[in-house]
Amino acid sequence: MRYAMAIDLDRCTGCHACSVACKVENNLPDGIFWNRILTAGGKSMDTPSGTFPNLSMQFLPVNCQHCENPACVKACPVKATYKREEDGIVIQNYDKCIGCRYCMVACPYASVRQFNWKKPEYAIDVAMGDAAITPHQYNTVEKCTFCTHRLAQGLKPACIDTCPNRARIFGDIDDPNSEVSQAIQGRSYFHLLEEKGTKPSIFYLT
Amino acid sequence: MAVVTNTKKTSATNLWTMIFAVFAVLGAVCWVLQLTRGLQMTNLDTNNMWGLYIVGFMIFTGIAAGSLLFSAVPYLFKLEEFKPYTRIASYLGAVASIVAASLFIIVDIGNPERVWLFITSGNWTSPMFWDFIMLSSYMVISIIFTRKLILLNEGKIEEKGVKGIAVVAFVAGILVTVTSFVFSFQVARPLWSTPAQPLSFLIAALVAALAVLMILSHILNKSGYVKMPIGLLAKMGKLTALLLCIELIIVITEILIGLYPGSGEDYAAFIWLVTGKGAVGFWLMMVALVTAIVLLAKQGTLPKVGLLLGGAIIALIAIYLIKSNLLQAQLFNPLITLPGTPVYGETTGPYVPSLLEIGLSLGIVSLGALLLNLGFGKLNLGTTANTRKL
Ligand code: SF4
Ligand code: SF4
Ligand code: SF4
Repeated sequence: MRYAMAIDLDRCTGCHACSVACKVENNLPDGIFWNRILTAGGKSMDTPSGTFPNLSMQFLPVNCQHCENPACVKACPVKATYKREEDGIVIQNYDKCIGCRYCMVACPYASVRQFNWKKPEYAIDVAMGDAAITPHQYNTVEKCTFCTHRLAQGLKPACIDTCPNRARIFGDIDDPNSEVSQAIQGRSYFHLLEEKGTKPSIFYLT
Repeated sequence: MAVVTNTKKTSATNLWTMIFAVFAVLGAVCWVLQLTRGLQMTNLDTNNMWGLYIVGFMIFTGIAAGSLLFSAVPYLFKLEEFKPYTRIASYLGAVASIVAASLFIIVDIGNPERVWLFITSGNWTSPMFWDFIMLSSYMVISIIFTRKLILLNEGKIEEKGVKGIAVVAFVAGILVTVTSFVFSFQVARPLWSTPAQPLSFLIAALVAALAVLMILSHILNKSGYVKMPIGLLAKMGKLTALLLCIELIIVITEILIGLYPGSGEDYAAFIWLVTGKGAVGFWLMMVALVTAIVLLAKQGTLPKVGLLLGGAIIALIAIYLIKSNLLQAQLFNPLITLPGTPVYGETTGPYVPSLLEIGLSLGIVSLGALLLNLGFGKLNLGTTANTRKL
């Protein structure tokens, strides 16, 4: 069994709903987003390239790719990040992380790993999201968990359920009948920075 | 008369000890601030997650390795004239630099209280874990080596008694190339993944060690702790200049290889370095490299201590800049640069360490200097009779 995610770039409208859902579900501290929506277009987020009317813009949601051959896991000197054998999810153990940030150096997918540079602060006073999440820790690195806490409850990740355009599909890629396997069938897709050999579990459908 | 001179020397030493102690305390205060307020007190961020501390670690590991080589080579290749100074070199490698290098890692990590996990949960696939093993073995090797060299000097053992440990020290010194694997093994950082990196690290190690030893010999010469003839100092200077030339060739070829294609990820990083936001650091590095080479190589028939000393200091600055530029050019130019949801500190450079980082680093260096001073006072490392009285 190996969990994977497909992101249909033809369906993504760059609404940031998944990004916000992730932020709320996991009660992410200020300045941290595990799931970011990048824009291939102009110089800043949500801007196109070119001159009117010949404009072009493409959205690219990026969270941890839960690589089959994760560079971060090899790099971590103390095994604070590891691949869960039963389902391929790359786990981050806050209690073990010494905060050396080597995994951030090692991960090719810029900024999917983020560090708590200060004591976690939150935009609002009450905690948001699921009570089952692991509390955030000062001085440690964190990233997308594939919502392991929701999977444990038999739910799908928060970003999947929230996407209004059904651009995100999740499931067991080893099972040919799973939603994600079905979604990539007959479609062309790519992996981010495939040439780096990390074998990501995120399929970008084009 | 002699007594008066001695008193002067002692008070000068005391003054330096005081200054170093003050800086060490200042460093400790900075560390407490950093621990209580977090690494936000540094100028590091999501893009540029490694900075001054990591460069400090690289340089001091280099000094340790270079000192081991400097101590081992005279026994392996029969360079009689350098033998008297190997005790100082191996002690420099043994205590001061390894302690400093380890401290640079300790202050860089967010949770220093978890550092024991290196022992209980070490990950064999991590080059950083290899570094940990290497530093620990350096410590052991240098302590044994220093002790044997002192015994040899006191006539308690024969010279063949140090051969074995000299071989081990030599191999360990060469293995400083492992430090480069922390960088060069990362698929995410193509700028670092070149076979020139391990060589560049070895050269940087030797240059740093030679430069520090030159500065140290000069200070100890003045205080009468050792008597190193200027000719030897000049030889060390020439060797340093030669090594810096190789480093210069590596730097220039890397830049040319990166710039030639005219586009692509390497090009973006090198353009950032040569004409972009990293340009000040880059051109300072070039000036420092060339100046150090000229000062150290061009000595004429009568070498001048001042020039050699200046050359050594500038060589150290050049090594710092080489390492810092190497880090920044890559970290500020990651593989994915598309704009997106903003997170903490996605800066595009250049990186200049914060005052706190500088204070903390000065503290670590001062602590190293204090340990060095302590060793000179307590151990028999010098070449003159009044060695122990420093
Ligand atoms: S995307 Fe990065 S952090 Fe996630 S598993 Fe791959 S290498 Fe590790
Ligand atoms: S920051 Fe934490 S998870 Fe990342 S490499 Fe260091 S110890 Fe491992
Ligand atoms: S799977 Fe969960 S943690 Fe990962 S991006 Fe989606 S919501 Fe965030």
